Amino acid sequence: MGHGGDLRFQVENLTRVEGEGSLHLRVRDGVVEEAHLAIFEAPRYFEALVVGRTPDEVIDIVARICGICPVAYQMSAVHAFEDLFHVGVHPQVRALRRLLYCAEWIESHALHIYLLHAPDFLGYPSAVELARDHRELVAGGLRLKKAGNHLLSVLGGRPIHPVSVRVGGFSRMPDRAELDALRPSLEEALALSQATVDIVNGLEAPSFEREPRLVSLRHRGEYPLNDGRIASSDGVNLRPSDWGEAFHEVQVPWSNALQARAADGLPYLLGPSARVVLAGEQLHPLAREALARTGALESIRRNPYRSIVARAVELVHASAEALDIIDAYERPDAPAVPVTPRPGLAAWATEAPRGLLFHRYVVGDDGKVAAATIVPPTSQNQAAIEADLATFAPAVLDLPMGEATHRLEQLIRSYDPCISCATHFLDLRVERAT
Amino acid sequence: MTARAPDLRILVCGTADRGDDGAALAAISHVLPGLPEELRGRIEIKRCPMLDVTDLIAIGPGESCIVVDTVVGVEPGCVVTMSLDDLARRPAGVAPRSSHALSVDDALLIAEAVRGTLPAGTFVGIGGKWFGYGERFSRAVKAGLPTFGAAIRRSIEELLPVAR
Repeated sequence: MGHGGDLRFQVENLTRVEGEGSLHLRVRDGVVEEAHLAIFEAPRYFEALVVGRTPDEVIDIVARICGICPVAYQMSAVHAFEDLFHVGVHPQVRALRRLLYCAEWIESHALHIYLLHAPDFLGYPSAVELARDHRELVAGGLRLKKAGNHLLSVLGGRPIHPVSVRVGGFSRMPDRAELDALRPSLEEALALSQATVDIVNGLEAPSFEREPRLVSLRHRGEYPLNDGRIASSDGVNLRPSDWGEAFHEVQVPWSNALQARAADGLPYLLGPSARVVLAGEQLHPLAREALARTGALESIRRNPYRSIVARAVELVHASAEALDIIDAYERPDAPAVPVTPRPGLAAWATEAPRGLLFHRYVVGDDGKVAAATIVPPTSQNQAAIEADLATFAPAVLDLPMGEATHRLEQLIRSYDPCISCATHFLDLRVERAT
Repeated sequence: MTARAPDLRILVCGTADRGDDGAALAAISHVLPGLPEELRGRIEIKRCPMLDVTDLIAIGPGESCIVVDTVVGVEPGCVVTMSLDDLARRPAGVAPRSSHALSVDDALLIAEAVRGTLPAGTFVGIGGKWFGYGERFSRAVKAGLPTFGAAIRRSIEELLPVAR
């Protein structure tokens, strides 16, 4: 089909992403005039659900926003409240929260690389078909994921929606023996992660380059998870509570999820690629070594399909840091410090597997939440995904419908979007009008 | 001394604090004490809030498996029993649980691809109605629990003949 006239392109059901959405492209004379990632998953009203709740209740409630990144929601919330209440947690509590986050990164990244994204690169419709031909590859990915889930269970009480995080610390700290027992699976996870970097770096990525504006936390002493300043590739430098000074949310008619934009109204990109580029010097030495071995830093920055390499490098980081934290662990006398709630504005950002997750709560005189704003990474990435789709789509419009759909879905999956978080998937429709 | 490998692994899915989702846990806790000692010694129970493919891959050669869970799309309180093979290959497919978790049929098919074969075994489910917070069951599930327990026991006896 030629590019003359008007074309409308619609993907009705995007697969291997979290949630429900569709892609709509309008093309005129070979130029994409509209690229809409329509998110029709129903609004989930979490920001209203937490009103009238105590901070500890909020931490449990927001974890329910996502089954794959509940820790991220807990971490942004708990840090926001602790910042407002001037709570200083025990250094081992801080370390254990990083360990909890490492667990989530391991299970989330392993799931995405092996079950959601790898089939695209290797030419399989799903992980089931991939597993039939690449048994060891998939089995290794599943063991990696399980290592993360197991770690999460030990620290959080269960493999999803952990229940141990509270303002001031944890409800319970594990003993040394519990963490030592995790070493064998994490040592295997580290070895599998290092192999994963080499495997995914060898995958052929579609040719596509652009200059993205990148945003992530950056910390002078550690790879960003719970702490650091909000930084961008064009000079933003803010406290993690001050997201609203440089970014804002807008409603677009085709999506039930709000979209976030930079102050100039333009999109920006979060996630593993942004973190590796902006904060790569803070990666664990083993992860830095793995990244250097790939020689892929520039392609990670410019080609969204190469995010799979950044994700794999972060698997190495999370596995290696988890082992380091376990080695240095000393159980504190008390799992939490006392907390005195105070009214005011509680806000913080942490690094979910998919990128920066910002929470803002107004706490009333009664110590309960009076208003809440939660800005998930997928909401923030939506505009960047649409911009990339508009740039990339002309290259595939002459392909048969099935092939074009596949290429566009693969691009969207590169961002590992979590639509359930953002409203909390893709249905491609191409409308071709003349 | 090495513990003897079980002959049958029962994967008990669901969570006790979400209404009818805890039905499998309740049923198994009633079934087990009533089993002959000889049978109990050959069974390993594993709790899995969501059926995980690694739990299926971990089932050893020669071991059987029963997956017990609450299901939707079945009349509340009604009990369904089918082989894992039939469950994996249902023509209509199985509803996805979340796109961040494998659907039950995908989990079974990936386990089959990785293990080489599907574990021999049975799925026993009860239709659920209410999945809110708390440990109470819907009236339909409460009424169906004895039938659910009996179906689980029947599956155990079929997979573990006593005269073995």
